[in-house]
Amino acid sequence: MKRKRTFKHWIFILPALILVISILVYPIFYSIYMSAYDWNLFHSDAKKFLGFGNYLSLFKDREFLHSLWLQLGFIVIALPIETIIGFFVAILLNRDGKFYDVVRALLLLPVFVLPVISGLTWRMLLQPEYGMISFILEKLGFGVKAWLAEPNFAYSMVIIQDIWRMWPFMFMFIYAGLSGMPKEYIEAAQIDGAGLWKKITKIVIPYLRPTIATALLLRLIDALRIFSEVYVMTGGGPGNSTLLLSLYINKQAFEFFNIGYAAAMGVILLIVALIIAFFIVRGNIQFEGEKG
Amino acid sequence: MRRVISVLLLVFTVFVAFSAPYNTTIKVLAWDDALTQALKEGIPDFEKQTGIKVVLELIPSGNLLQKIGVSVSMDKTDYDLVTVDEPFVPALAHLFTPFNNWSAGKVYKKPNLSVFAPNAFEAAQWMGTFVGMPVNANVYIWITRKDLISDPKNKQEFKSKYGYNLGVPKTFKELRDMAEFFSTKGIYGFAPFTKQAEGTTAEAIFMFEGFGTRPLEIVNNRVVVALDDKKAVEAINFYKELLKFSPVGALDMGHSERIAAFNQGKVFTMFQWPALVPQHEDPNSSLVAGKITYSAPPVGPAGASAIRGCWVLGMPNASKNKDAAAEFAYWWASLETGTKLVPKGFTPARSDILLNPTMNKDRPWFKAIFDSMKGSIARPRFPQYAEASQIIRDNWLAAISGKVTPESAVKKMKDDLNDLLKKSGY
Repeated sequence: MKRKRTFKHWIFILPALILVISILVYPIFYSIYMSAYDWNLFHSDAKKFLGFGNYLSLFKDREFLHSLWLQLGFIVIALPIETIIGFFVAILLNRDGKFYDVVRALLLLPVFVLPVISGLTWRMLLQPEYGMISFILEKLGFGVKAWLAEPNFAYSMVIIQDIWRMWPFMFMFIYAGLSGMPKEYIEAAQIDGAGLWKKITKIVIPYLRPTIATALLLRLIDALRIFSEVYVMTGGGPGNSTLLLSLYINKQAFEFFNIGYAAAMGVILLIVALIIAFFIVRGNIQFEGEKG
Repeated sequence: MRRVISVLLLVFTVFVAFSAPYNTTIKVLAWDDALTQALKEGIPDFEKQTGIKVVLELIPSGNLLQKIGVSVSMDKTDYDLVTVDEPFVPALAHLFTPFNNWSAGKVYKKPNLSVFAPNAFEAAQWMGTFVGMPVNANVYIWITRKDLISDPKNKQEFKSKYGYNLGVPKTFKELRDMAEFFSTKGIYGFAPFTKQAEGTTAEAIFMFEGFGTRPLEIVNNRVVVALDDKKAVEAINFYKELLKFSPVGALDMGHSERIAAFNQGKVFTMFQWPALVPQHEDPNSSLVAGKITYSAPPVGPAGASAIRGCWVLGMPNASKNKDAAAEFAYWWASLETGTKLVPKGFTPARSDILLNPTMNKDRPWFKAIFDSMKGSIARPRFPQYAEASQIIRDNWLAAISGKVTPESAVKKMKDDLNDLLKKSGY
């Protein structure tokens, strides 16, 4: 029997609706409005309407394209690695016992480290004279170097730092999904003579697909707004080798004060996020109304 | 009895309230360092004298512009006074009341330009108008290890190798020679500034000026690219030479790395901003406290220069408390305040304090500040400075790190600056 929606329903929804509109919908529309102007924060009175002018300029801006490329590269490299590590560690630690409980809890620690602290810690680890990683690299024969002053290395380190901090997040999700998987599935596969690889690819992964997709979606949102750890580690440098899109938006908005232009970049970032999210959700996550 | 006391208290309160020249509150936004922390300590005295309550908000210097950007506009402001770093004065000038229009103080005298260190007031100038008042004399000063240059063995060895006396480097050539000399003795000759930050732009401009060129110039109110290829390449090559005598990780050094290296006694000489000098002189955190001599920076082949970055106090046009705000500014600039707060970490803009022998006894860098101010130069002054700074910095770093040749870095720097000027309508 279908319940009739009444006015009362809306009263209960209203507080949440107001909150969502004021902190999510309004800023999005305001950003779109700002992006249509040549708007300098210090000359707000002299803003000029450009229409799609900022968007057209963006695609001629080499710096923007470069930072978008770096941002996408970051997502494409970091997220799968985090997922793979999280997945296999979850399988490894999907056992009962006090020891496993403790190990699982300890593995989660990096997730609780504030991004800015993580960035500073990695910066110290890579400090040429005293940093532990620099020391190890020196002993391995790579010499003494300012590693974060090397463009490719700096970009790799930003990614490695993120993997170190966030793979336990993926682990947490996948382990939760795995521990809820009925044991009968695996037992049946074993009776049928399936090996480890078969069990993983034919049973575990299909079963965990919605869980992994949800975790990936959350990580994607997080990865698109990565900022503070990169800001303190490299400041976007050397040159522009780690100037991810979020850092470039910050630079345009709060260093050059071109807030109209920065808003246009923000809108592009939102569109990119929606496109990637669409592909992650489609076919992987089923919502309540779609079941059956 | 209780009633009598209450009446007396009421009379006293009314008397105090009405006897003070003002009865208002002002909000001041400033950067956070030893100077402004010292200022905070003096505020209760100011409030007592004037009846003006001061809400002083201190935030890291790197975030100050953002805060001003969202708090101050033509028709409204959250602050009655804001501090602005010199290079950004042109971008904000239109928001500020010209200094000439600031009212005369009722309690503190409006200072005239002559009390400030040479060129300090230039920091507040834009298009021929002083749009604010300088509040410190922030300029490159040179710090050198006194103990190393007075060591007889070092002196003798240096003289026999280079043919002249060891001392504070007075020229770029001496700087190079002495840096090389000490690097052979296990001490880094020089500590550069190479982080992706404003300090790197300042370093680049300092070098360019030393070799007689500058990235941008204002000609007849128009900003033009003025970098001379040959001189710029010479400057880059000279800096690359200095990097050979610099600490490990020389291509990733900012304030904290430089301070740490110098305080550990590993560096012979380098530039420093005055606000950071107390960290070198703190015996609890520095092995070289008391072993440093201060001077103006060494002179390049084309002449003397020292990068200036004075902080300027601006009064937003939209402030509703301009008289009280001006009073606070005059108190800040007064001899009395400076004298009282210097022991607490205050760096003054006034010549009389900078040259005061008693002050120089404990703070020998004050005289160096004054001397540096004489030859001080500004970074390019125009509203799009932040973008220009980024271009200069990126290309300078690419060149000194060897990613590109100095020639191509200079060419790209000029091209990018020309693009920026074109985009900005120059």
